[in-house]
Amino acid sequence: MAQWTGFELNLTGIELLLPDGIRADAAVDALSTRVPIEEGPGAERDLRFYDTFDGLLHGAGLAFVHASGRSALVSLEDGSERAAITAPEPPGRLLANELEPGGMREALSTVIESRALLPLVHIHSAERTFGVLDGSEKTVVRLVLDEPAVVVSANRRIRLAPRIRVAAVRGYDKALKRVHETLLDDVGLTAADRSVLDEAVIATGGKPEGVSSKVDVALARDQRSDSAAASILRRLAEIMESNLPGVIADVDTEFLHDYRVAVRRSRAVMRELKGVFPAEQLARFRVELRWLQQVTGPARDLDVYVLDFDELRSGLPEASRDDLEPLLRVLRDHRVIAHREMVRALRSDRAAELRAQWPAFLTGLVGLPVDGRRGAVLPIGELAGERITKVYRRMVKDGRVIDDSSPPEALHELRKKGKELRYLLELFGLPLHPGDVVKPLVRSLKSLQDTLGRHQDREVQIATLRSFRDEVSTLRGGAAALMAMGVLIEHLGEDEHAARAEFAEVFASFASKSQRALVKEAFSA
Amino acid sequence: MSRVLATYNIKGGVGKTSAAVNLAYLAARDGARTLLWDLDPQGASTYLFRVRPKVRGGVRKLVRRRSDVEKLIKGTDHERLDLLPADFSYRHMDLALDAAKHSTDRLARVLEPLRREYDYIFLDCPPSISLVSENVFEAADALLVPIIPATLSSRTFEQLEALVAGGPQVLAFFSMVEVRKSLHREVMAKLRATHVTMLGAAIPSADEVERMGVERTVVAEIAPGGRAAMSYEALWWDVRRRLTAGGS
Repeated sequence: MAQWTGFELNLTGIELLLPDGIRADAAVDALSTRVPIEEGPGAERDLRFYDTFDGLLHGAGLAFVHASGRSALVSLEDGSERAAITAPEPPGRLLANELEPGGMREALSTVIESRALLPLVHIHSAERTFGVLDGSEKTVVRLVLDEPAVVVSANRRIRLAPRIRVAAVRGYDKALKRVHETLLDDVGLTAADRSVLDEAVIATGGKPEGVSSKVDVALARDQRSDSAAASILRRLAEIMESNLPGVIADVDTEFLHDYRVAVRRSRAVMRELKGVFPAEQLARFRVELRWLQQVTGPARDLDVYVLDFDELRSGLPEASRDDLEPLLRVLRDHRVIAHREMVRALRSDRAAELRAQWPAFLTGLVGLPVDGRRGAVLPIGELAGERITKVYRRMVKDGRVIDDSSPPEALHELRKKGKELRYLLELFGLPLHPGDVVKPLVRSLKSLQDTLGRHQDREVQIATLRSFRDEVSTLRGGAAALMAMGVLIEHLGEDEHAARAEFAEVFASFASKSQRALVKEAFSA
Repeated sequence: MSRVLATYNIKGGVGKTSAAVNLAYLAARDGARTLLWDLDPQGASTYLFRVRPKVRGGVRKLVRRRSDVEKLIKGTDHERLDLLPADFSYRHMDLALDAAKHSTDRLARVLEPLRREYDYIFLDCPPSISLVSENVFEAADALLVPIIPATLSSRTFEQLEALVAGGPQVLAFFSMVEVRKSLHREVMAKLRATHVTMLGAAIPSADEVERMGVERTVVAEIAPGGRAAMSYEALWWDVRRRLTAGGS
């Protein structure tokens, strides 16, 4: 049975705004001369909304709201509840796997996965309810007059525009239509184009859809290459900047992931389009960004271990899964240390200098003399196309000579090139070339990269497991853990072999004749 | 899944409609999505909720499932409480049922699509023993039977239990009780002693119950905190408890 929620969300339905400067009382007066209304009970409520940093719930048409000792996941479209729990006010940060197993945890984790819910906005709503009556004094339409405010702090509130929600009474559609028209045409209300939730988020300077870590920079084919590179790199610097506080506070693992992707993409742009930058500065910033990549690496690797631990463990027979607990403890301890070291680096003067100088350099790039950077004035369509073709051909060439006797490094190198190509395609290919050419290439590249990635990940995992052996052995339960780790290493080794065996096939499709022809046609000038 | 509760008695004028209307109101007030189907052609509960007693297509189409029952439902003045109104054609419901196939479970079939949408469905039944009541016994999870504590009430109760044996749970309660009458007090004591299924709550014969017809609303709005309102609350509490215990 659906539980009585104690609050109806009213995020949806017909919502109307009062004309500017009209007070709620005046609107009620105006209303009562047009339609017979009767006032019902009023209510004041405090609604606290939560979403992930990147607005995953909003994007999925959902809201997580806490009110009166109860948290609910509701649909923004029709207000229906997907899940609800009785719980105290959520803490400043809530991960799905911190909830008790059950409907809420399941519903949340399918949408937000490993991202944390963060407080989005606190709305105080003061509502008066009215029934519009027919000739038999029966309520045929319900009206809710809401005077909402955003609670910023204990002594600061931002008042939002009062709004009237028009709610249907089942079976009285004609009356609803009539009342709606009267309110618009006669009383002079206007349709609200945003929900009160979105309105509140905007009032606090936030974005209802969350902070995106997508690049999404529009480019033109004939744009100067240095200007195109600078706008992409500036956007990447912005993504690094917006994720940095979450990285430092360790809010969830995706902050660091998105931060590092932005760093890696920036480095790829610098490497692939080196001709557009002055050589001296390029060299300096390449060193600095590589340093950022390095100081954030160990923390990310350990994040991945902890995130993947359950999957790793599921490779063991049921009976020995618990034996791995000591390993998880070691991983967690190392993760804490790695994170601490990373934060120290990110807070250092060196990092601060880079954060200030890098965007400034990018902003000034187009104004610098073009001597010694020939690529700068080339149209980006031409330059990017040339680079994409080159990297692709290089991969085809390198990949062809890989056989069963090649060392693992050959596959690692190919994977690195593949990342380069992928970034070129995503950053410059998609905005400048038709999607029906770029997307299939990205797909076949992705499946090649998955195979190469699996191969390398397994190797690294095996090495890491081995490196923790001594430490695990000193813990209680260490002997059993070591045995379980031995089984894991064996499994991982088998998977590494399997990935290696798959390589020939996925590479053949990536380097096929038709694919090569497509690349030639699409990206050659 | 929803629970279907029918207020039923072979006799008329015992407080069936008052019980259906007030209990449905309390269910909705507590947060349950609630529907009341006024099966009585006189349409007393439809009148109390100020809804027009009209069902498009009439009873024949309805029991043959030729009309879209969801479109016939009307919201009441109370949130979460909806009404499937009475229609004058319901006076021929017996004939309509008799003419249809599977004549004893037609009403259950009409309710089928609604059981997902509502937590409680109340049936306000006309007094009779007929094909309509047979359908009600088939559709209902429990019968809520108002009994006036008079000489023959014990007999009425036993007859009913025999009639629905193996069917829905029977939850009887005293209705229109006048505590000043020693006869009422004696009958109540005796019945409670002999029939364990008798509910503890009893609805008094009260002014506010009678005024429901004038004010066209539930007792909780006419005299909140009054004796009748309190008794219906106690009755609803009792019913819910028994339903859970019965686990039907």
